[in-house]
Amino acid sequence: MTVTEKEASPAIRRLTTSKAMVEGIAQEMERDPSVFVLGEDVGAYGGIFSSTTGLLERFGPSRVMDTPISETAFIGLATGAATEGMRPIVELMFVDFFGVAMDQIYNHMAKIHFESGGNVKVPLVLMTAVGGGYSDGAQHSQCLWGTFAHLPGMKVVVPSSPADAKGLMIAAIRDDNPVVYMFHKGIMGLPWMAPNPRALAPVPEEAYEVPIGSAAVVRQGNDVTIATLSLSVHHSLDVAEELSAEGIECEVIDLRTLVPLDRATILSSVAKTGRLLVVDEDYQSFGLSGELAAIVTETDPRLLKAPFLRVAVPDVPIPYSRPLEYAVLPTKTRIAAAVRKLVG
Amino acid sequence: MDQKIKIELYRTMVLIRSFEEAILRDYHADKKPAWDIGAGLIPGEMHLSAGQEPVAAGICANLSSGDGITATHRPHHLAIAHGVSLKALAAEIFGRETGLGKGRGGHMHLFDPASHFSCSGIIAEGYPPALGQAFAFKWKKTPNVIVAVTGEGAANQGAFHESLNLAALWKLPVVFVVEDNDWAISVPRQASTAIASNAERAAAYGIPGERIEDNNVEAIWRSAKTAIDRARSGEGPSLLEIHTVRLWGHFEGDAQAYRDDLDAARAHDPLPAYEAQLIGEGFLDAAQAEAIKEESAAEVEAALSFAKASPLPDAADALRYVFA
Amino acid sequence: MSNEVRFPVLSSDQASEGLVATWFVADGESVKTGQLIAEVQVDKVSAEVQAPTAGVIRIIAGAQATVKQEALIAVIE
Repeated sequence: MTVTEKEASPAIRRLTTSKAMVEGIAQEMERDPSVFVLGEDVGAYGGIFSSTTGLLERFGPSRVMDTPISETAFIGLATGAATEGMRPIVELMFVDFFGVAMDQIYNHMAKIHFESGGNVKVPLVLMTAVGGGYSDGAQHSQCLWGTFAHLPGMKVVVPSSPADAKGLMIAAIRDDNPVVYMFHKGIMGLPWMAPNPRALAPVPEEAYEVPIGSAAVVRQGNDVTIATLSLSVHHSLDVAEELSAEGIECEVIDLRTLVPLDRATILSSVAKTGRLLVVDEDYQSFGLSGELAAIVTETDPRLLKAPFLRVAVPDVPIPYSRPLEYAVLPTKTRIAAAVRKLVG
Repeated sequence: MDQKIKIELYRTMVLIRSFEEAILRDYHADKKPAWDIGAGLIPGEMHLSAGQEPVAAGICANLSSGDGITATHRPHHLAIAHGVSLKALAAEIFGRETGLGKGRGGHMHLFDPASHFSCSGIIAEGYPPALGQAFAFKWKKTPNVIVAVTGEGAANQGAFHESLNLAALWKLPVVFVVEDNDWAISVPRQASTAIASNAERAAAYGIPGERIEDNNVEAIWRSAKTAIDRARSGEGPSLLEIHTVRLWGHFEGDAQAYRDDLDAARAHDPLPAYEAQLIGEGFLDAAQAEAIKEESAAEVEAALSFAKASPLPDAADALRYVFA
Repeated sequence: MSNEVRFPVLSSDQASEGLVATWFVADGESVKTGQLIAEVQVDKVSAEVQAPTAGVIRIIAGAQATVKQEALIAVIE
């Protein structure tokens, strides 16, 4: 049998999220010699969550550098190199580790452009793994994007799909500001984690940007707006499909960027549905979910036909033991219950 | 060194290895063939200490009731050598209500106030709390010491240097230990550290520093004794760097493709080496060694059985223990 | 060039079963020589599988299937 005898489907190039991220980084490194990568285990290991696989082999040790476990020093180094015109991509292995280097992040990386009256630019990408669900305990399972989004001077992007992971990475590298790029371990498509069918999807081969500051309506619906991000987008889409069979149509917004936040997309969806559920794997209080409620009420509280609801981590450290961890994570069960309550 | 101490060191090392091998077995047993880190009776990251038994045995044999330890993300060997309940340790690893932290903490977050034992999953961050425990011992006028343990990769963290300086300045009863197992996950020490011995860093803070080579449990015991005695007598902290070996991956799931020293590491397994030494010296015979291994295995299996028979926490209790 | 796609040997333990973790292509799609088509795994070791030749892929062992090492997982027609 030959190819011409069968009707072959056109090749659709699919990638997992981690491979899409790496492809974005590699294409920018090809294009711009000032782009380099540094962090813990980003070289021979290829990133603990495969965010830099193959880059050392391709670009060599002068552009892909393992660092000592000295986050203050190497994140500060990235800031300094950025102020001199380079475009560093610096990995903080787990976002939970930010505490040992936060001064370099929020007092230096994020404030230099402002303090210099706009005279100094800090074009760097700080990428970091977030999220739980695999019993890694209270110091290795947090999301913490609300913390970074709260502090002025850094853009914060949080992709959920392979194509967005690549496009937001390229946009982040090309941006003239510090961009915190947060990837959930559960969306990466890693063979050693629970299989996630949504972590494998078509990704264009050429370099492209997904604009920072633009949310995506990833499912249309008239009954409830679910505003969410990262792995919770996958859960929310699953729930939306399930509830559709019951006649409840959810509109799912993948925020994609927290800073700057795409308020218009959220508000126009809420204006349509009149009901807002925020699903957020970060801690509940003083964070993203409260911010979205504030945006709606300060715009027009009459937009809401039902009280605002949120499904987030209820202000407890992420527990190790599975029944406890899954009691506090934004699971599909919790999301579905919240949607039913909103329309009930 | 008298026979009793030698046998105790050996017995501790055997117990640790027995425990780690049992955890290794149960950790992987229900993760095949789809190796999912979050699946099974023991989910999550698992950092096992095989090869590093001499550090724990040699140090802890010099500790007394009331002395404490702060350990790392790889804590089991130190917990066991320090006398933390094997059952409560195992139950925590299995995420059970009977565990050290009632299943809340997990294997990187073990707290045993009775033995002043704790650990942290963040590199070098076990050093600063050790200062405070030492400070409290001084304030209470108890003759106790705290041993703060971290890895060679951690010696490049700010917390490491800040802690050495403050402890030296205030003459706190702390012994700082660096476990040098050559690897910070995939990064070899020569690629992370500008000097060959972290013990040299002690000079920067005016305290004694010593590097102990060859993972030799008796050399570790002797150096630890000197440093612990010094701290206990009010003369202040010391820094010991112990060259040990990481026989297994950084965590279970680490394929270690970056590592070219695996055969050499296995050849430096400290357990058969110490057993052969003791047999050669006439302090131990093969039958006694076998008996110690059997006793250890029985104790470990009893602990694991206890853990597996213990209840998982109730999801309704997920919000407990955030505040006292 | 062989048109068989076999599970690579990742473990010296012949008895070890492997997992077809991910197919990057769908059954019946045309593939190019050297194209990344799958990711497979034995215990904790994973590897990428490239197309040995160009043609239309017929997947034999689907995603999440467990097979013996060296088993036929696809053919390229």
